[in-house]
Amino acid sequence: MSIPRRTVLLAAGVIAPVLIAPSRLLRAGAAIEVAMQGNLNGGYVWFDPIGLHIMPGQTVRWFNHDPGNAHTATAYHPTNYQRPRRIPETAQPWDSDYLMPGETFSFTFEKEGVYDYFCVPHEQAGMVGRIVVGSPKDTAWKNDADLPKAALNAFPSVHDILARGRIHAEMAQ
Amino acid sequence: MKKALSLASALLASVSLTAFAGSADKSIVKSPPASPYQQVSKLVPLPDFLPGMGQLFVDPATLPAGPFLAYDHDKKLVSTIYMVPLKDINPNNSFDNLSAPGGNVDHVDVYYNAGHPGVGEPHAHIVMWHIPANKESRVAK
Ligand SMILES: [Cu+2]
Repeated sequence: MSIPRRTVLLAAGVIAPVLIAPSRLLRAGAAIEVAMQGNLNGGYVWFDPIGLHIMPGQTVRWFNHDPGNAHTATAYHPTNYQRPRRIPETAQPWDSDYLMPGETFSFTFEKEGVYDYFCVPHEQAGMVGRIVVGSPKDTAWKNDADLPKAALNAFPSVHDILARGRIHAEMAQ
Repeated sequence: MKKALSLASALLASVSLTAFAGSADKSIVKSPPASPYQQVSKLVPLPDFLPGMGQLFVDPATLPAGPFLAYDHDKKLVSTIYMVPLKDINPNNSFDNLSAPGGNVDHVDVYYNAGHPGVGEPHAHIVMWHIPANKESRVAK
């Protein structure tokens, strides 16, 4: 009549992984969220996590959790406001455009490499993020001088991102 | 930042002396204020009601400094706000004769803001409240 509890657990533990194991399904799994945040008077704005390590094929979803401001997630690339390129040469640039509170934007990363991005109204205030896809060999950009100091100083190192998986912004801790 | 804010305070002192006396311009005490003021959320992508400030209107010709007029949920004027980019506080620049149509000022807040659509760079908010500090909750959210 009723299946013994242990059997259920075994079934869940053994059969389930077999069902969802194909790598394509894993790759298509839930997007990894990066929150857009701000404090009450708008003095602090940030991405959380600010540094993130993912694998090729994974999707990142930016979510504006700031009730009092609009934010963007915009790749450093000449097609975006003529900003310097800080994504792999052959990678597709993205620009979420302005996200109002509660809005989201998703982007799937296919190519291994380091991807730097910024928030259009907050680049000067240092609202930037870095995503490392896979295990890239070339990890240094040569156009640091073209960025606002506050933005440049905010990036976590590729080394730390690879070591820790995700890095939270100072304000988020 | 501290330095920038004290500069902003000095600037405030120079622009706002005329605002502390007199009553409000009738055409702006209720939302929406008369032209040339326009709803900020229709000019730039921002929420219509900003927590802590209220519903904002501005004459686009006066950007970025403003004044911005802020209203509560009952459409009553609560504050007049100036937004002054930190980089514009320098020896070669000044903001002269900014209008102050809101009438009596109860108290003033000056604080740093990282930026938002419309003023996309770090700036000081100089908020001249027309209501007492203990009534600011009217625009808390
Ligand atoms: Cu932002």
